[in-house]
Amino acid sequence: MTRNRKMMIAVAAVLFYVVGVPWLCAGRNYYLGVVTTASVLAVICAGVWLIFYIGRINIGQGAFALAGGYAAAIAVSKWGLSFWIAMPFAGLASMAIGILIGLPLLRLKGVYFSMITLSLTETARLAAQSLKSITNGPNGILNIPLPRDLSIFGITVIPDFATVDKHLALFYLGAVLLVVTYAALYRIVNSRLGWLFRSLQQNEDLASSFGVNVPMLRVIAFAICTFLAGVGGAFFVAMQQSIYPATFAVQDSTYFMLYCFIGGLSFVFGPLIGTFILYMGFEVLQGFKEYQPLLYALLMIGVMLWLPNGLLSLRPPKFLSAKMPSRPASGGDV
Amino acid sequence: MVGKKTGWWATLMAAVFVMSLSITLAEDVIRIGVLGVMSGPAASWGLVNRYCAEAAAEMINEKGGFEIGGKKYKIEIISIDDRNDPKVCITGAERLIHEHGVRYIIGPNIDPTSMAIVPTIEQGGAISIPYAFSKQLYSLPAKNSILGMIASYQAGPVIYKYLKDTKGIKSIAFVARNDSESLNQRDEGVLAARRLDLGIVAQTDSYEVGTTDFFPVMASVVQKNPDLLVISGAAPADTPLLIRAARELGFQGIISTETAQDAKVISEFAGDLANGFISVGGASTPEIRSAYMEEFIKRYEKVAGEWNDEAGTKVYALEIILNTIKEAGPAAINDVTLFMKAMDTFSMPNPYLKDNRPLHYVGKSDFGQKRQISVPMVVTEYRDGDFETLFVGSVAD
Amino acid sequence: MTFMSGHGGSMFARRFHAEGENYICFHVLISRKQFFFGGREKIGMGQVLINGMYSGVQYSLIALGLTLIFSLMNVMNFAHGQLYVLGGFVTYYVYGVLGLPFPAALLGAAATLAVVGVLFDVLLFRRVLARSARDESTMLLACGSALLLDSLFIIFFGEKQRGVPPVVGGVLRIGEGIFLPYGRVLIVVLSVVLIVAFILFMAHTRWGRGLRAMAQDRDAARLMGVNVARYSMLGWMIASVLAGLAGAMLVSVSGVNSGIGTWISIKAFIMVMIGGAGAIPGAIIGGLVLGMLESLGAQYMSGSQYLAIFVALIVFLAIRPRGLLGRQ
Repeated sequence: MTRNRKMMIAVAAVLFYVVGVPWLCAGRNYYLGVVTTASVLAVICAGVWLIFYIGRINIGQGAFALAGGYAAAIAVSKWGLSFWIAMPFAGLASMAIGILIGLPLLRLKGVYFSMITLSLTETARLAAQSLKSITNGPNGILNIPLPRDLSIFGITVIPDFATVDKHLALFYLGAVLLVVTYAALYRIVNSRLGWLFRSLQQNEDLASSFGVNVPMLRVIAFAICTFLAGVGGAFFVAMQQSIYPATFAVQDSTYFMLYCFIGGLSFVFGPLIGTFILYMGFEVLQGFKEYQPLLYALLMIGVMLWLPNGLLSLRPPKFLSAKMPSRPASGGDV
Repeated sequence: MVGKKTGWWATLMAAVFVMSLSITLAEDVIRIGVLGVMSGPAASWGLVNRYCAEAAAEMINEKGGFEIGGKKYKIEIISIDDRNDPKVCITGAERLIHEHGVRYIIGPNIDPTSMAIVPTIEQGGAISIPYAFSKQLYSLPAKNSILGMIASYQAGPVIYKYLKDTKGIKSIAFVARNDSESLNQRDEGVLAARRLDLGIVAQTDSYEVGTTDFFPVMASVVQKNPDLLVISGAAPADTPLLIRAARELGFQGIISTETAQDAKVISEFAGDLANGFISVGGASTPEIRSAYMEEFIKRYEKVAGEWNDEAGTKVYALEIILNTIKEAGPAAINDVTLFMKAMDTFSMPNPYLKDNRPLHYVGKSDFGQKRQISVPMVVTEYRDGDFETLFVGSVAD
Repeated sequence: MTFMSGHGGSMFARRFHAEGENYICFHVLISRKQFFFGGREKIGMGQVLINGMYSGVQYSLIALGLTLIFSLMNVMNFAHGQLYVLGGFVTYYVYGVLGLPFPAALLGAAATLAVVGVLFDVLLFRRVLARSARDESTMLLACGSALLLDSLFIIFFGEKQRGVPPVVGGVLRIGEGIFLPYGRVLIVVLSVVLIVAFILFMAHTRWGRGLRAMAQDRDAARLMGVNVARYSMLGWMIASVLAGLAGAMLVSVSGVNSGIGTWISIKAFIMVMIGGAGAIPGAIIGGLVLGMLESLGAQYMSGSQYLAIFVALIVFLAIRPRGLLGRQ
């Protein structure tokens, strides 16, 4: 497929997403809400996928989303900053924590890294509960105002969310985040940096012997990952207008990981598809009452048995694949 | 960038998604939503709400429906699992409000989810009846949430005072689960105990969610020798374990909690060790329940498989919603502002209690507005496998 | 060193009275409305250490199966806690509801879990491992199975906490302020016996040696004539039985409910991290260390013990990335 053709498809898809979806969902706030939530979950999930891409498993993304959420909530509620400053600030704050924690922890290999990240979410919740002076402890931060307008040189670029259709405004915010994130992710994976990341996944020792600065690369990937979590966390705080220590929990972290698996670990758009399928799947199955979680679990197991390498491995179009090796030689490093 | 495959998936998903919702809003149906956690570790909280609503709805529908303004309406319960996740809860509330036309939602179960849907229900013109205790949910500027049960900070002081007066307790200790709900309840309890001049000997001890062995935390509390040991925000699953641990470690004082428990769960695990345990019950103790409540219990058993004493505190929501709508007139089925107006003066005899004391809306003193159902505060004592009523109190107007 | 006694406590006072000589009991029978408060027994440091041992031994047993599956299969079994829960429910029905003897319940749980373990391997993990590009894909499978079991538990066993009374009633008193409920002592002894039996099995039987060879190097084991497929099945079976027996025994100490599985798994992961993944002694030490930390933490850092444990764990792993005894 030529470069032009790819561009055209991409533009068409984005157009459908930002014009078609709101048109189809006009007056159907619930549908729009589902797409919005799934979009931003997919943004957070993109970070987890990038960690998969360097050969690690991050089951602690919820911790960083929580950190970002609190950063945004504090910036808006306590410091009175605009949400449009608070959101990037949340990303950076989460990233700073990510780098701080990542520096020692990224040395852990395989299963150790995943296990320690599994306890990060719980650690974050307990920390948020204990640091009462910063986070207001178990009472949470409540009544956070909606994002206000953003003006540059007197021109209103973004309207005050309280004055427009909130659902539509949140949808567009989510849509922008999603498109920018995945465009950037696609760019990264197809750049020299992406090539270096792949080399980490295949064999860190070998990469190191070729003069690749392995620890540095790992931290870069983790910084991107936690930045995305922070931004996503800030978005949900804007949507919920409140945050508690339990706003992001262990189950969020595990779901982010599962979304990646379902979509396919070797495809840039894997986490996107995985998130939408599983999040919407959960909604679709709501009607089954007590059998809903059962069917949901069967759906997951079924997909894994049918397509162990993710949904997108179903005869993946070549350009979607991020040129991953088939199976690592040893397979020992989980 | 995005290929045919993705497009195909998107179409398929959209199709299934749309098909999953059938919107047929019949004229003579009132749809009531139940939104809460129905899977995962805390599943019991939301499930009890759902079973209660379903059992009550079945009873009403069998009599031909609920009469409002001279017309009978069938009651349809639509339940949605929110996994205790604020994101999923918002989606669920939007689905109930915008797709099913629901205006009255029973649930959610915890502060984070209840608070997260406040903007959604206010914008969508709906009312929620959360089983969470945060005062901000029921105080201005929030208007659309009604507390469906007795809050711990209301039951706590009453129980402590009763024990101080009748049993002469002088010292008190608190132990809480290490999460927002429980810790907040503990902090409120500590304040109440302080107002009663009780000596607080322990107030920081806590255990993690999912703890299986309570000896460590109980050893730390029991050695401080309180006269009263309060288990703040005890989950029904943890209660018998906590009681047995305390007793096996030689604790001789009184144990109490401010939340509803289940007698069978306690008797299975703690047996006689739990005798004298004080908790807040519902309308289910035999001394006080009416024939209507007996019927409800039988129906609940049919719906859920077995009775749960927790349900005794959660029977009220559906009944009071429907009766308030009746008083406000048929227009209130779709307009909650009429409902809110009617709340100020509404009163009905409590159908679940023998004495039929009035059931109305209270909360002026705690929340500054009437945003709580006047559920009777039934303080019970566990004895040989059953709860016995100690006294029935009520919440201040 | 006296006992307060009232209506609720009289039974206890009587029970202790028969056992202890080194304490004095004010056993005052009074009406329900009155209570008499005297000085009471102090719990001491001894109790704190013993509590740590109690929890530690239980935890070790839980962690064993998890680490076994990891060392053999490279699978992080998120469904481990659910297997524990299943064992607990089997015991609840056999021992608690049907009233059969406790050993029968243990056998029942072991048999059930052996079947489930084999099914896990044959129906799920084996198939995915054979076709997946990355071993980690089994994590999704494990999470899916955990979710599946959780929802089946809710449907079949309900949402309530289930428990059985202690297998042996009564409390043993040693010296001053140390309380040893017989029920707990029995479970701890049984757990230790089971752990020792497992270690002996791994060290001295042909099957055990085969499993160890496989854990060390799957390919080498295959070349040496170990039937890897059959041993995988055996590994799953043993690991599931261990999880199930842990649940089966602990149902008399901790009860069981449909939702506890996830938390059991998470705790088991922490133990494995402390001890070191894939090492059998690591799991045992990890369990004991966590149990002791919890007990000491509850005593000396009440309220923030778990935050402290998590932070310490992160620092510890930063210094010692493979835990205490982790394999390379």
